[in-house]
Amino acid sequence: METAEARLARAREALAGVQRRVGTTRERWEAPTLPLTPVLDQLLPQGLRRGQVVAVAGSTSLMLALAAAASEAGSWTAAVGMPSLGVVAAARRGLDLARLALVPHPGPQAAAVAGACVDGMDVVLLGPRLALSEPDRRRLASRARERGSVIVAEGSWTGAHTTLTAVASRWHGLGAGDGRLRGRDLTVRIEERRGGTARFVTLPLDADAPLRRGASAPAVTSRALGGAA
Amino acid sequence: MSVVTVVRRAVLWVPDWPVVAAMTEAGLGADAPAAVLHGRGLVAVSAAARSAGVRRGSTRRLAQRACPEIAILSHDEGRDSRLFEAVAAAAEQAVSGVEITRPGLLAIPADGAARFHGSEEALAEALVTAVAEHAGVECAVGAADGLLAAVLAARSAELVPAGSSRAYLAPAPIDSLALAVMERVQREEVERLVSVLTRLGIVTLGDLAALPFADVLARFGPVGVWAHRLASGEDLAPPVLRRSEEDIAVEHVFEDPAERIEQLVHVATEAASALDRALLDAGVRCGRVRITARTEKGQELERVWRTDVGSRAGAFARHMTDRVRWQLEGWLSGTAGAAAATGAAPEPSPLVSLGLVAEDVVALGAEQAYLWGGVSGADSRAHRALERVQGLIGLEGVLAVAEQGGRSPRDRAHAVPWGQEAPPARAIAHPWPGRIPDPPPATVPSVVRPALVLDAGGSPVTISRRLAISAPPTWVRLEADPSDERARAANRHPSSGHVGHVESPVWDRPRPVESWAGPWPVSERWWSEDASRRAYVQVALRDEEDTVTAVLLAYGGGEWGLEAVYD
Repeated sequence: METAEARLARAREALAGVQRRVGTTRERWEAPTLPLTPVLDQLLPQGLRRGQVVAVAGSTSLMLALAAAASEAGSWTAAVGMPSLGVVAAARRGLDLARLALVPHPGPQAAAVAGACVDGMDVVLLGPRLALSEPDRRRLASRARERGSVIVAEGSWTGAHTTLTAVASRWHGLGAGDGRLRGRDLTVRIEERRGGTARFVTLPLDADAPLRRGASAPAVTSRALGGAA
Repeated sequence: MSVVTVVRRAVLWVPDWPVVAAMTEAGLGADAPAAVLHGRGLVAVSAAARSAGVRRGSTRRLAQRACPEIAILSHDEGRDSRLFEAVAAAAEQAVSGVEITRPGLLAIPADGAARFHGSEEALAEALVTAVAEHAGVECAVGAADGLLAAVLAARSAELVPAGSSRAYLAPAPIDSLALAVMERVQREEVERLVSVLTRLGIVTLGDLAALPFADVLARFGPVGVWAHRLASGEDLAPPVLRRSEEDIAVEHVFEDPAERIEQLVHVATEAASALDRALLDAGVRCGRVRITARTEKGQELERVWRTDVGSRAGAFARHMTDRVRWQLEGWLSGTAGAAAATGAAPEPSPLVSLGLVAEDVVALGAEQAYLWGGVSGADSRAHRALERVQGLIGLEGVLAVAEQGGRSPRDRAHAVPWGQEAPPARAIAHPWPGRIPDPPPATVPSVVRPALVLDAGGSPVTISRRLAISAPPTWVRLEADPSDERARAANRHPSSGHVGHVESPVWDRPRPVESWAGPWPVSERWWSEDASRRAYVQVALRDEEDTVTAVLLAYGGGEWGLEAVYD
């Protein structure tokens, strides 16, 4: 005759097992995070978790920065449907070009190509003009969750875990015919899928010093605005 | 450092190898005055030029003054080592197993070879004859114990008796240490050491060898130890003999010229499995496969592909079949060359023969794996995924990118189909004056998009040949997003000056310039077809309330173009 506590513990364990299988909750060790450039810690405080979809609007640099630290640590990156990706910018952000593959024009095969990339790569950057329907996107997201890869999509993505929108940017270094671009402050609106308030974070994305791991994280200002966005 | 027993070796030295190789390739006779120029100085001078008074290290202008008819040839390390293969092969006619210490210098373990030929004199004679007959190059041979003594002996074509290397080296000047240097990086280190030693009053190798070993190590570190051992007539490492593996080739000639892909699928399978069999029979694997084909018009097509069969031996034939089929499809449809970074597009034309050559052949089991285990699971998973994508959208659909030298952001990217080997066209280490300064832009359109730059009055801004800008830029109009209906409608409106079908670009609304920098002139390759003369301007455009977009614009030929966006 087992005690009530033991039965309760067994029931909890069974429930946790079901939740894990279905994916409603995940243990910390189950969803390991990919490394993230220190400057971006404010954007994704919980880190770049595997299986996530991050939608980024308005800044290719931000997409590259999200993939940079993971690529440097040995992950593979594919950029699908981004024919005008700046290769030098990618390298300066810290992406390892030896582990970066570009599929600039997937055409009508976009869904199949993106699916193959999600299967094999750790970080998949998706361009804005891909022939992906809503069901395709849902399938890709669930495939990413299953395979433990991260999708960073340009533009909007229904059901993205995090949506980052570049709402304002300021460049400095230029004058009236003199100087050169030196640095930029990018203000990003962060919306989480699970709701809550939209946060605004301003980060120095292009300081003169290269944005790399190990560099001292410059000051980041953050303010939360009331009300859901 | 472990002690290596001193090996008696014969060294075969071809004087002025860089210039000999360059003259061979340029088709000059051996008695023509010529020199090889690298950077600002001559690195090698031919005998005829030397007798005219041209010296190593002098500048091009001095050389031309001493000898006006001198041919100045370019420096190319790849060519030096490639052509030296012929000399090594010729030497192998006389002895079995040679070590190429550097292009121009061969080391041969002398004991066995001398016994075979009867004496060291006979060996030297056999070597000189073989190289002169088969490679058409004059050379000198010397023999001694230890590397440095052998190199010095070769330069004076002497045979130093066994056991007397130290005495032979003692009177030699200290800077002959540089002759034993095999790499350029090491050379600088050794030159620094030599200059310090000279200032300390150590001017011969004998002086250096007389110093206590421990003191040399304490004062000069590893390079000092290296020099001390060489000066004492010792060896650093036993010679590493070259084991030549022939490239393995498979050739298939079509009975009828093939012009449809269906005809080729079978041939690709056949050729790939024939190559696989040939490799297995020889007990080797290969690192690269060169696919060649000849068209009906006599054009030779060629591509090199990397393979990594070491990690999945059984799949080689299937893997190669796909590669060959894709490559042939590309050639037949005429798309392969057009998308490739280098070379003109071959005209689509029926193929008459197909060849596969396995290169970088190494014996099975001799391949180098990673330090920690084999290829990681993630790497092979990624490779499989990319191969699958290549199967879906074709070979040229997946690109591998690298950074290369250049000035504009577009020039600095180098893309080749995934798995194909093509070195970047421009060296990244060159200075590239006038390069657009960092940070690099994140969006670089593959072709320049048109743009309008207007001054405060709304008239176009121009830049004169002397880089005078007509007025400060105040407004910029870029091309509108093709999906932007409003911009398109505004463009169709009669007030915009267009009626009916519009050919010109659809302009977005004008955006005010917040700040700008430039113009930066870049005049490139004026000597060639793709010459360009442009002035670059970095502009920060105000979008909405506090959003600023930075763009890189270029002015050339009276037109403004959008080069890149810093987004």
